[in-house]
Amino acid sequence: MVEAGGCSAKIPPKQLEEILRMIPVPEDPDILVGTETHDDAGVYRISNDLAMVVTTDFFPPVCSDPYEFGQIAAANAISDVYAMGGTPVIALNIVMFPAARLPIEVYSDILRGGSDKAAEAGVKIIGGHTIDDFPPKYGLAVVGYVHPEKIITNAGARPGDTLILTKPLGMGIILAGQRLGLTDHDEVSEVKKYMMLLNKNGAEIMKKHGILCATDITGFGLAGHVLKMAKASGVSLHLNMALVPLIGNAYRLADQGCLPGVSFRNLEFADPDTQFANGLDYNLKMIAFDAQTSGGLLMCVPENKTESVLSDLHKAGLPDSAVIGNVSEKVDKYLMISN
Amino acid sequence: MRTIDTRGQQCPAPLIETRRALKETRTGESFKVLTDNRNSLNNITRFLKDNMTEFTVDESNGVWTLTIIKKTAEMIQQNTDEYCTVEIPHLTKSDFIVAFTSDKMGRGDDELGNLLMINFIKAVKDLEVLPSRMVFYNSGVKLGSSDSPLFEHLQIIEKMGVELLFCATCVNYYSLEDKIKIGTLSNMYEIVQTMASASNIVKP
Repeated sequence: MVEAGGCSAKIPPKQLEEILRMIPVPEDPDILVGTETHDDAGVYRISNDLAMVVTTDFFPPVCSDPYEFGQIAAANAISDVYAMGGTPVIALNIVMFPAARLPIEVYSDILRGGSDKAAEAGVKIIGGHTIDDFPPKYGLAVVGYVHPEKIITNAGARPGDTLILTKPLGMGIILAGQRLGLTDHDEVSEVKKYMMLLNKNGAEIMKKHGILCATDITGFGLAGHVLKMAKASGVSLHLNMALVPLIGNAYRLADQGCLPGVSFRNLEFADPDTQFANGLDYNLKMIAFDAQTSGGLLMCVPENKTESVLSDLHKAGLPDSAVIGNVSEKVDKYLMISN
Repeated sequence: MRTIDTRGQQCPAPLIETRRALKETRTGESFKVLTDNRNSLNNITRFLKDNMTEFTVDESNGVWTLTIIKKTAEMIQQNTDEYCTVEIPHLTKSDFIVAFTSDKMGRGDDELGNLLMINFIKAVKDLEVLPSRMVFYNSGVKLGSSDSPLFEHLQIIEKMGVELLFCATCVNYYSLEDKIKIGTLSNMYEIVQTMASASNIVKP
């Protein structure tokens, strides 16, 4: 199977924003979360105590093993429901597969990976759609539910909150390094392990502590998603890149110049709204824009809850969770990056 | 002048080659990079601008030629005068490890021991070949506490790719659970395994 860029296979964010601006979402008071805040999923109110969370995500292979690719794509698609505080329940497969060019076992392995990961999340895949296309692409359209008053959005960051990230960064860099033969096997397995890891436990801890604001980190990179959050919340977010956990040799690879093109597009998108501290380490700066596939949750946590949230995350199989910054009143720029 | 031909290469390979050449080139000297990929060209020029490196670009028949001048030390100095970060060099790791059994170096006067330990860790950072892991046990775990004067140095060493292992029992014993924000908490089994499989153990 040919490998490509996962969530880095997105349309450049700048372009996407311009296009979406031209296609307005219809007015409806039951649309609780639409496109204007660039959140992870849409939320639609069914009744006073029930809302649907809907989302979709699919991409070309990020690894050569089809079963693992299926799991990664499913974990990534379901993650958006978790990031909204929802409980995912059902999903549809979205598949593009070149039946004439690849063995059909590859197709079944991808679906098996997706189905196993969905089962782990308690999600039932009840249908899907396949068309012939090369390279293959796979993902899910996922439906979940949430109480309308308990939606976690990217618009609820409040000054004084701390920012906690649940998975380390560097997926894009290491996958690019792998394609160029610059990484070792262990490192790639580590990346795959993180990409296959559901954000389920992180989401449960957010619910337990009544967290109001979060997002998951995917193709726009940590800085890109954090910027969307800052804008949606009308505050400034401060990232300390020295505190961000990194996977394996991501720093060393970045230092060698192994920076995927998408990092530069993400940087361009965020540049006007970002202040980079004097002397910010260049590699850490670029790591902030590294596109993640099935990345972790980034949550805004009131300061008095930070310790207990962090300790719960560490106990729940997310030992890399760390405080990586904080929220302030809006200052000059929406995003401040230092180290 | 050295010419690096990256034609036909996909990103980020051309950037990697450029960065390597930039490191190998002596200050004041120039080199050329050829690329036929517009994305790579954009990424390389953005990288050069961000790193305040002078360059010119010429295009002919779909091939771009970048001429890159590595600045002299003084010129870079001017730009980094107010910078406070430590430069993180690109280094290699070996399979030796460092075991910190105490927060002081050697036995004798405690104040001297503290001072020596600070110098020791700063010196580790400058080694040509870094240890693969550093393990901290007994009062050694205090070195990794966020209020330790060595916290930032250890943070940088970790970013350089050295794994830091802190004995969890010791961290609990000294009530540092909330202050160890670098490395990983480890158990005795992993510590024994690390020490048993190391080619050399350095003990300050």
